[in-house]
Amino acid sequence: MAAIFDMTRRVTMHDPSNKDLLAEFMEEDEDMEVTVHKRASTVAMSVDKLPDNILTSIFSYLPARQVLVVSSVCRRWRNVAWNPNLWRFVSFRPSYGGLQIANVDHFTHLIGTRFVDMRNVELATDLITPNVLYEMSNKCPKLQHLTLDFSTAMQLHDFTDLQAFPSRLRSLTICLSENIFLEGFLRKVYTFIASVEILHIIGTYEKVEDEEEEVYETVNIFKLKQFLPNLRVVNLWGVPFITDDHVDAISSNCAHLECLSVNYCAKVTGSCLKLVLQRCKKLRCLFLAHTKLDNNIVKTVEWEKTRIEELDIKSTELNSDSIIYILSRLTHLRWLDASWLEHFNDAVLESWMNSGSFGKLEYLNLDTCDSLNESSLVEMVNRHGSQLQGLNLGGHHKLLEYFWMNMIPQLKNIRVLVMGIAEDCCPKVVAKIHVDQFIDCIAQNCPKLSRLEIRWDDETLRFSDKSSKFIDVLRMKCLKLHSIVLSDGQYYELVRSNFERADRMSVVRTTEMCRTGHLHCSKYYNQLLFN
Amino acid sequence: MNVLNQFSFETKLDLINSFLFTQQVTMPITLTSSDDKSFSVDRLVIKHAGTIETLISTMGLEDSEEPSMPIPLPNVTGSVLQLVIEWLTQHKDDPVKKKEDDGERRTDDIPQWDQDFLKDKPQSVLFDILLAANYLDIKGLLQTCCKTIANQIKGKTPEELRAHFNIKNDFTPEEEEQIKKENAWCEN
Repeated sequence: MAAIFDMTRRVTMHDPSNKDLLAEFMEEDEDMEVTVHKRASTVAMSVDKLPDNILTSIFSYLPARQVLVVSSVCRRWRNVAWNPNLWRFVSFRPSYGGLQIANVDHFTHLIGTRFVDMRNVELATDLITPNVLYEMSNKCPKLQHLTLDFSTAMQLHDFTDLQAFPSRLRSLTICLSENIFLEGFLRKVYTFIASVEILHIIGTYEKVEDEEEEVYETVNIFKLKQFLPNLRVVNLWGVPFITDDHVDAISSNCAHLECLSVNYCAKVTGSCLKLVLQRCKKLRCLFLAHTKLDNNIVKTVEWEKTRIEELDIKSTELNSDSIIYILSRLTHLRWLDASWLEHFNDAVLESWMNSGSFGKLEYLNLDTCDSLNESSLVEMVNRHGSQLQGLNLGGHHKLLEYFWMNMIPQLKNIRVLVMGIAEDCCPKVVAKIHVDQFIDCIAQNCPKLSRLEIRWDDETLRFSDKSSKFIDVLRMKCLKLHSIVLSDGQYYELVRSNFERADRMSVVRTTEMCRTGHLHCSKYYNQLLFN
Repeated sequence: MNVLNQFSFETKLDLINSFLFTQQVTMPITLTSSDDKSFSVDRLVIKHAGTIETLISTMGLEDSEEPSMPIPLPNVTGSVLQLVIEWLTQHKDDPVKKKEDDGERRTDDIPQWDQDFLKDKPQSVLFDILLAANYLDIKGLLQTCCKTIANQIKGKTPEELRAHFNIKNDFTPEEEEQIKKENAWCEN
């Protein structure tokens, strides 16, 4: 036994001795460094000595626009820059930072030479032509993800001649316009899209200003679904004409559906859910934010027979009874967004915890649920704090220093944390918040933290000339922290400059630039992404 | 051996395994650079270097008890090899990357230590490290170097890039004209 210990000790000591070795070489190396410098200035300062494959991988880290710039530096760079491998993910949607095509004919011509390896492409309306689609279906065998953006469309091209369409797609995203009917186009496409597993239909929610304006049903969902038997993920986002009938229709043909999102589809009441959940046994993820969920209808659903793990009921008008009804029956729930619910009150939280279906919960968003009181939240964190990986209690004006100083030590496994309230949305917080103690408390207790948002504004936050020290500690202790969102002001400046001094750029941002959410913790996050 | 009897079978197995493991790991390997400098490194340190790993396993050095023959690296000079070993030593506890990730191509996530490591290196040294990483198949170091250079490229015009990397514009005036025409498909 002693022998083994002895051996391991020697083994661990090996390292320092190795360092000595290195130090030796360092000394020896001084004149060597000089020769390196000399060589550099005389022979090859240029990148010529890098082989093509390395140049290619360097260019692979550049955005498409910069690759185009690079291609006019010299002959060799031009050749490398046009390696089709560098053009696998390309956006041609200028309104979302993509490339702007000036000459469609020339572009069509390039598809067969420069874009043959394309996997993921986004097209704006003017590029969705029979010719472009024909070329892509013939020349881009690896194309799997296609976005067709009609949102800026004034008029569609003539698709009478459309004979081919990419037929190996895994995901298809269609951005609708308010009044351009797509049936004429889609009729030509239906037979090619059976392989699609992920469907996004992005509505015009953001654009509609006048509610009285007539809503056109620009896509025939009933028809579309007949040709999409393999859907796993369906995201109907802000599509104004979608009703429960449409959702019901989709589910009638999709036994494999795992994730259904109808966020911002304001006509959905939930009357489809009973059947949808009976048919789609694999459904794990249900996003119903900003829908018109009906209290009586949601109680007809057999929630207890489902396997739902992720649920979003943000900003719905569900009453306390209905919320209790749903939550106490979802025993697999892992992720819940129940923010902006007026009726999510203490009784709801208590019944939910007592129902025993809180056990698997990891991410909880109760942002701006004004009816909740401090005592029931204390109870919740005391009982379940250690299982939570994400907690959003922003927008609660009653939760102040006392609450957080006692609660943070219980959140040992927290990754995402949101606290505080912005000044403009509620009566002013009278008390001052000593932010240094928070920061210290977080640093000591939450080693896994990756995102932190503190919303209190500059006038509420109190900090001192020692604050920098506490931020240093936070930086050292929470090594995974890659996003801090603060209200704009002196404290924000202080934290930002502290992180930037340590070369940690773009970690600290203001609440105006970004918001901390839990969506990235959804298992379907990558598939739900759209631009 | 009877000291060991106080332990359960599983514990003994663990002890023996860890003993064997640490021994295997620490068997030093000697690397020789093109200019005949020798470096003795920990077995654990070179786990990121795919080329050497392959060499060791094909030469059957894995289980050898004796100090192995030096491994010649004819493409790497001593000064560069020393830097590479410095990087490897720093990253010896990182998991080994199997293949380059296909996902997001971001360049703002270079580890802090790596940034400092490359910060003040002259361009040619950076290229030499990159070439060595490529030759030795060290994916993490290769990635760090590529991202660093990509960051230098970002936001520069062709003219600025030529100046920065000392590249000669080898297009003829006719070709330049041609490129201009060709690039007209896309407004930049």
